[in-house]
Amino acid sequence: MFKLLLTWRYLKTRFIALASIISVTLGVATLIVVNSVMSGFSNEMTSKLHGILSDVELVASGMGEIDRVDEKVEQIKSLLQDDLEAVTTVVRVPAMLNFLVHGQPRYHQIMLIGIDDQTFGDVTDFRPYLTNHFHRNGDVFRLMELGYDKELPDAGWPYRREKFRHDAYIRQELESMLQDRAKGLPPIAQNQLPVPHSPSATTDSNQEPLVNIAKLPPLPTQKPVLPTLSSDVPAGAGSEYLSDCGPSLNPSESNTWNPAPVDALAAYRERVLVAPFDPITEQRVGIIIGIGIGRLRAHDPTTGTSQNMYFIRPGDDIELTIPSAGNQPRPLLENCTVVDFYSSKMHDYDSAFAFMPLSHLQKMRGMIDPATGGATVSAIQIKLKPEANLNSARDRLRAAFPMMQYPLMVQTWRDQQAPLLSAVEMEITILNILLFMIIAVAGFGILATFFMIVVEKTKDIGILKSLGAPSSGVMSIFLGYGLSLGIVGAGAGTLIGVMFVVYINEIAALISMISGREVFDPSIYFFSSIPTLLDPMMVVAVAGGAMLIAILSSVLPALRAARLAPVEALRYE
Amino acid sequence: MKAKLVHDQVSRGTANPAHENHDVISHAPFRSPKNHSNGSVILSAHQIYKAYQAGSQQVPVLTGVSLQVRQGQFTTIVGQSGSGKSTLLHLLGTLDRPDKGEIVMNKQRIDNLPARQRDRIRNQDIGLIFQFYHLLPELNVLENTLVPYMIHYGVWNYLLQRRRLHDRAKELLEQVGLSHRLTHRPNQLSGGERQRTAIARALITQPKLLLADEPTGNLDARSGNEVLELLRQLSEHQALTVIMVTHDERIAQQSDQIIRLRDGKVVASTAEAA
Ligand SMILES: Nc1ncnc2c1ncn2[C@@H]1O[C@H](COP(=O)(O)OP(=O)(O)OP(=O)(O)O)[C@@H](O)[C@H]1O
Ligand SMILES: [Mg+2]
Repeated sequence: MFKLLLTWRYLKTRFIALASIISVTLGVATLIVVNSVMSGFSNEMTSKLHGILSDVELVASGMGEIDRVDEKVEQIKSLLQDDLEAVTTVVRVPAMLNFLVHGQPRYHQIMLIGIDDQTFGDVTDFRPYLTNHFHRNGDVFRLMELGYDKELPDAGWPYRREKFRHDAYIRQELESMLQDRAKGLPPIAQNQLPVPHSPSATTDSNQEPLVNIAKLPPLPTQKPVLPTLSSDVPAGAGSEYLSDCGPSLNPSESNTWNPAPVDALAAYRERVLVAPFDPITEQRVGIIIGIGIGRLRAHDPTTGTSQNMYFIRPGDDIELTIPSAGNQPRPLLENCTVVDFYSSKMHDYDSAFAFMPLSHLQKMRGMIDPATGGATVSAIQIKLKPEANLNSARDRLRAAFPMMQYPLMVQTWRDQQAPLLSAVEMEITILNILLFMIIAVAGFGILATFFMIVVEKTKDIGILKSLGAPSSGVMSIFLGYGLSLGIVGAGAGTLIGVMFVVYINEIAALISMISGREVFDPSIYFFSSIPTLLDPMMVVAVAGGAMLIAILSSVLPALRAARLAPVEALRYE
Repeated sequence: MKAKLVHDQVSRGTANPAHENHDVISHAPFRSPKNHSNGSVILSAHQIYKAYQAGSQQVPVLTGVSLQVRQGQFTTIVGQSGSGKSTLLHLLGTLDRPDKGEIVMNKQRIDNLPARQRDRIRNQDIGLIFQFYHLLPELNVLENTLVPYMIHYGVWNYLLQRRRLHDRAKELLEQVGLSHRLTHRPNQLSGGERQRTAIARALITQPKLLLADEPTGNLDARSGNEVLELLRQLSEHQALTVIMVTHDERIAQQSDQIIRLRDGKVVASTAEAA
């Protein structure tokens, strides 16, 4: 009985008890928060990594390609059987995107992925990351009328129509001016040219005709050709226009007003007549680009807020430069229509990936064997059933496609991301060591506190013993003391920690509001909000561990108290 | 029965402590020696040796002390400071073990019992009072008095008997004149009140033996007299055996037996002389 009463009284009257409780509380709360955020980050990251990559991939070693694809796919299917969920083939090729921003050419190096839009979405998390929700289940390479993200009001067909109508209007204006000039009227000053206005403030690619005015080939005098001319010059495709017109059109020539050679004109006219392409009603081959390529996220350090600026929108045409297949690659040019953005919120992927139809890319790069009609690919991607064993599937595939025989590498997504995953793992290990040291510090703090209490209470211990209290009873006072501190501290810490984790984004927002500075900037991280993963086992382990430490660190002082000779204790003044 | 007896007699004695004690104790002997030679021996020590280790040196404190205390005797231990009075009392009170020799209580040897049994004896059969009171600062007067019961009973048993035990403690505190101080903390009490609380605590389990180590050493004359009067009545009217360490030769002279310690030995015991 005296144990309970004294434990309670000691707790009630000691300020030091409160200090111990607070230190345990803080330790537990910190551990829970840090662990949750860390595992949230790594979990989110690995699941993103995993989602974007396929489970297992057969990739051509070197820059080579995989041939006899169908045969291999059949072989894989029969090999994996029930473990197999889906299989797809891709072509991966480094490429360059060119487009104009404020009239200035801009180049962006990307990884172009040719995908089979029927099966690619089954193997990787591709469709959920598209911004147009019609694309999430449908033909992904079609430009849509509706369904684009609310953040992009000017996108899709409405945007494209308006843009190219506007361009056509300007071109007509220009033509009539040039015709006037050809009739001997006084030359027009540069500032008198019609200035195109942008359909949206942030999209400036349609200023491009202004720059290209001088580069336009001289207009033929024949009337019938003229209407088609204006509609055929797509905005943002000035360079294509140049290249189509051959080498005769060099800048020095176009700056001065010289009539172009006849053959260039003929080639141009032929193109216009043979392939009349109307950008107002037609799209070119669809391309989906990572949102980081078409968007600039401007961070304002004074206000701490971020703003998005788009220089490409779904509906714009861009030019693509890719190497052809074969041993001596040549650059190939292709105009594409941006049909959607790919937004995985993984910055590395969003700023480097672009997707186009596999068959088109194969055709363009000459990957189709004219003899057999079979096309080569860069990789075969496999998705396994959730319950399937990743490594055993990989090993079976490796056995079926030995390196000696096939120039193939079989890798799981973990193999592919091994450097990143092991870095993350190491980070977590180091963090755990540091946290453990923090706990050790807290433990020693409690130990010191308890020793102080025992020393302070030496006389009381002597009194209790002189009244017949057994050593075990005296010991249990201090053990109970430690346990109470542990329970209260760990309980409060768990509560605070869990609350903090649950409301972490609100807390971050609040701190941003108070400090006027963004605590969590999504453009810096992979994620749009702070990811957390609250593992109940972890919470239990942390709280239990804290209690254990509180008890363990009270064992030594309690033992000391129990061993104290009553005479010694009473002598203590 | 026994409790009733104590109650009657003690309360008679302390009914008017301020007047009575002052007169009686300053001008008349507080008691007169009695002969208990036919009473049974309640506690005896045989050739006790005790040495302390001071660094690498052995400091012998008691070198062959023997004594006998009979039922109901009022025994005083006197001697110079450092002569080992407290040491002897601690050994008798099972707070410490002698290096050599035997201590027998009620025909049972107690110096070599296991710790738990010695704890029990200390809790039930021996009451201890110290010069510095040794109350627990976190507990009030009533709780301090009840500590031996709290130690004796488990939580459940204690709570079951709570009423009875509290009544007993309150009764005892009334006898020592502290019924108006029940919820005071020790640091809110005077020295005399603290020592009376300690006496109530020592007596709550109705021990046969009361060991007191200079109980008046820290008190002024009046408070000291109150405490002594209390002890006198307890020994006189109840079968309580008291062993008290004192420096006051006048008090020692009035006891039934005086044990004089010098150089670790009993130089004179007046027990048989009386
Ligand atoms: N723990 C100890 N270690 C070493 N020496 C001790 C210890 N306890 C007591 N002594 C020594 O034993 C001797 C007897 O001490 P004790 O307290 O019994 O004397 P005392 O007669 O009670 O004196 P006082 O009248 O001053 O209370 C002293 O010389 C003391 O220094
Ligand atoms: Mg002493």
